[in-house]
Amino acid sequence: MDELQVVEFVATYLKKKGFSEAENALQAEIQRNKSSNNTNPIDILNDPELSKFFRTFSESEDGPARYQDEYSKLRSWTYSSLDLYKHELLHVLYPVFIHCFMDLVAKGHIQEARTFFNNFREDHEMMHLRDLQKLEGVLSPSHLEEMEFAHSLRHSKVNIKICQVLYLFLFTSLHQNTYIVKKSNHCQSFYQYSYELLLQYLHKTQSTKMLGIINERINFQVSPGQPSSISDDAEIVTLIGSNQDAANQINQKEVHWGLLEDSLENRLEKTGLISDSEKAEGENKEAEIDENKKRPVEGGKQGASIKKLKKDKAINATAKTSRLEANTVSTAPRVKPDLALPVMPTEVEQSILEDLRNRVHLSSAALPSVSFYTFINTHNGLNCASISQDGSLVAGGFSDSSLKVWDMAKLGQQAVSSGLQGENDTTPREDIIGPNGRKRSYTLYQGHSGPVYSASFSPLGDFILSSSADTTIRLWSTKLNANLVCYKGHNYPVWDVQFNPQGHYFASSSHDRTARIWSMDRIQPLRIMAGHLSDVDCVRWHINCNYIATGSSDKTVRLWDVSSGECVRIFIGHRSMILSLAMSPDGRYMASGDEDGTIMMWDLASGRCVTPLMGHTSCVWTLAYSCEGSLLASGSADCTVKLWDVTTSTKVLKTEEKSGTNRLRSLKTLPTKSTPVYSLQFSRRNLLFAAGALSKTS
Amino acid sequence: MSIVPKETVEVIAQSIGISHFSTDAALALAPDVEYRIREIMQEAIKCMRHSRRTTLTTDDVDEALKLRNVEPVYGFASGGPLRFRRAIGYRDLFYLDDKDVEFKEVIEAPLPRAPLDTSIVCHWLAIEGVQPVIPENAPVQAIAAPSNGTNNEQKDGLPVEIKLPVKHILSRELQLYFDKITELAVSRSDSVLFKQALVSLATDSGLHPLVPYFTYFVADEVSRGLNNYSLLFALMRVVWNLLQNPHIQIEPYLHQLMPSVVTCLVAKRLGNRLADNHWELRDFTAKLVAAICKRYGHVYNTLQTRLTKTLLNALLDPKRALTQHYGAVQGLAALGPNVVRLLLLPNLGPYLSLLEPEMLLEKQKNEVKRHEAWRVYGALLVRLPFLFSPLP
Repeated sequence: MDELQVVEFVATYLKKKGFSEAENALQAEIQRNKSSNNTNPIDILNDPELSKFFRTFSESEDGPARYQDEYSKLRSWTYSSLDLYKHELLHVLYPVFIHCFMDLVAKGHIQEARTFFNNFREDHEMMHLRDLQKLEGVLSPSHLEEMEFAHSLRHSKVNIKICQVLYLFLFTSLHQNTYIVKKSNHCQSFYQYSYELLLQYLHKTQSTKMLGIINERINFQVSPGQPSSISDDAEIVTLIGSNQDAANQINQKEVHWGLLEDSLENRLEKTGLISDSEKAEGENKEAEIDENKKRPVEGGKQGASIKKLKKDKAINATAKTSRLEANTVSTAPRVKPDLALPVMPTEVEQSILEDLRNRVHLSSAALPSVSFYTFINTHNGLNCASISQDGSLVAGGFSDSSLKVWDMAKLGQQAVSSGLQGENDTTPREDIIGPNGRKRSYTLYQGHSGPVYSASFSPLGDFILSSSADTTIRLWSTKLNANLVCYKGHNYPVWDVQFNPQGHYFASSSHDRTARIWSMDRIQPLRIMAGHLSDVDCVRWHINCNYIATGSSDKTVRLWDVSSGECVRIFIGHRSMILSLAMSPDGRYMASGDEDGTIMMWDLASGRCVTPLMGHTSCVWTLAYSCEGSLLASGSADCTVKLWDVTTSTKVLKTEEKSGTNRLRSLKTLPTKSTPVYSLQFSRRNLLFAAGALSKTS
Repeated sequence: MSIVPKETVEVIAQSIGISHFSTDAALALAPDVEYRIREIMQEAIKCMRHSRRTTLTTDDVDEALKLRNVEPVYGFASGGPLRFRRAIGYRDLFYLDDKDVEFKEVIEAPLPRAPLDTSIVCHWLAIEGVQPVIPENAPVQAIAAPSNGTNNEQKDGLPVEIKLPVKHILSRELQLYFDKITELAVSRSDSVLFKQALVSLATDSGLHPLVPYFTYFVADEVSRGLNNYSLLFALMRVVWNLLQNPHIQIEPYLHQLMPSVVTCLVAKRLGNRLADNHWELRDFTAKLVAAICKRYGHVYNTLQTRLTKTLLNALLDPKRALTQHYGAVQGLAALGPNVVRLLLLPNLGPYLSLLEPEMLLEKQKNEVKRHEAWRVYGALLVRLPFLFSPLP
């Protein structure tokens, strides 16, 4: 059988089976081979075994029962294989499963497809529940075309890493007569044991359907060494539409994750440290007094604040010593900003510097104080909450299109004068003052015509942005209590909006699968970041303002270069929609939280997951790093705030890079009284603010 | 093949006025209907997540329909989650329970009160990582065993700092509070201040960390101060008020508390002077025991049986003092009519024959003992009035 014959044969076979894509790919491949004269990565043509396979292919009958039969055989064979190879082989099962199902649907065997799906779905529910739920509804060939997820699956190959075993001589002697595939040029001399096992099995049992699917849909990447441990292969579990190679390529790009050259932190390092020790003592007291003033609601609890005062002093004493020796922030490299950033007024700068000098040093031994703002009587209408940098303003976006902003300083005064001390007392208060046309305790911003999904304060607290289901973003002034600008650009609900850490610019993300960069003075977006395969659910700025990160329903997080609009990183590993993001203050790490309660911490430079953080049992609504980056706080729908230790786990990572299963230490779980935590914000002095709506469990 | 049966499609077709609808068309439509429903629900779930909720509402579905450029379904809005009822006779058929409303009633009813406006309350969730015990915070659980936390981490192979067994740290305020209360109980239990302290014990929310200390204090003082009547009474009142406190979970400490309480009920001597009204103390403690049994009997199912056994032993042992018998009678009687019927009544005959000689002037010369016997008899009389005919 000469080369041409085989090609012709394969082409007609593919045409007969309706694999038009594969056919095109084959043609393209042949064209390329002819032109470049390279050796084919898969040596199909010279391998007599393979051509024999193709022949058996065409002869076999096309019954839907075969899929069920062969898949269940493959499954039982996989489950009974050696433990060492089992989990690698298990990874093969899932793509085979969904492609079997889709093939059945494509051929119109709907009934069989359903039974097949229901028979085996349990195997994959743990890892791929959301995908299965999506696919379950596919009931006709036209749905396959229409549904983007299925479409992209059918038109791309799944990459699966599979190991090669070092004892290759042993195996060659054992399997001398077996079918050997030379996969790619650079590992021709190795035999891939798991892979070989699989092929050998398929060959023996004449599972032509399975082999067909594996050949057509799966791209094996052979990695040297032992079978990888289970935790390593987080990437494999997500099937993304775009080619994995593309993702890998993107992740090769350079990311300058360093801090801004001329940041205030930086200036503090230079100027602050000298005077620090003398000043700290005096300023400390002032600061404490200030803080007590800020929070007169707590006036009744003198005991608590006194205690805090004492403890703060103690902490400060220790902080002073440690501040000099270890400052993670100072070790980070510096970069220039790509954006023209606004200049801060000097008096604001002074106050920020003041805050930075008086910052409480947090670590695993010194946990933060948490002030909790509870929204009551929201009637299930609160969609989002946002807290300003200094915690003095709290905004809530409601499903009745309104945005409400509370000034906590004023609220405190009111509360003291009317003797309000707790949620139980609100009823009489409403009764007494309500009919007299009492002024509301908040400022009401009306303008949106759909539920408000997100709100963000500018760094100085003088502006608020809100995004809504009416596809617009509105800019409000807290000084004038009025709407200034309405930004129209998105075509669908805007899920999230976020101010740049320096102000002036902001980023938004929407159901229309794009994220956009805006500046306050233009009504058109400056950049449109397109690339996500599903809704972009959340967006955060990198600390140096040159990048934004977006989390999406396609279960990936992407990092985008603001100046070029390019995607520079894809982070794959989450198993459900991403709801929250946070950037570490040294710019090195990013944390993302998803619908299942998993939080992942990523290294931006390498694009790899540092550690998964397990602990929450429900949606992680919000994440925040403490100002020096030593703690990560997470707020969840399971009514808890959790504090995680960042420093120890990253240190561990440096010493033993390949430990794999290490996890961030959960330092503390702070349960609330049936209040899901919507928002977290560390103040510059490292006081943690949290907000949430009280939801009565009835 | 589809979860939407073709009959459903046919019914809907009829309802919108398509009379001739072929079965084939219905069969073809059914899978598509299912696909569309799933699609809408998927979008609705997104809307739900962005509204920071974990239960799907009709509003989410409406938003999802709007996203797909479909007219929302009007008239199904609801403030809260919908309440479905199961149709009788079907396993998986649910319906919304809509009540019939009389027009007249609605018109004549006074205007409903305006809903309360949204507001914010502020509290400390944690101070330096420690949750203050205030009503706004979730109640602190009994001190968690430190073992499970560290064990988990060791499995990960992390170099964990191994912590010493957790030292229970009391805040300064709580320590002062504890000192004050114990001092009052020991020395000035008749003062007004002590009454105030008891009220505070029964109502304050932040006392949970002190419970183990109070149990230990009570046990310690009872064993040492059996001849100090006023102290014992004060201690029992402390226990009583701790039990009343709704913010305290006292169950884990009951086993330490019960021996001292029972002691105050059936001890041979309580107080050292004749003038001490130990009868009253026993009555009070009997009430206390009954209250404990009533509240925690279902948690500790052996509690009541063990207690009744102890009391019955005390009663039926002729060597025990009459004061002990008295306590046992009071204790048993306080546990309710069932206990009286099952345990006290069958033993009454033999016991009375034992008691009778003690009560008679000619048999028992000791004035005090006779008085005690009469007290026991009186207690029986009060508790079981229907049994006794006048004495001969």
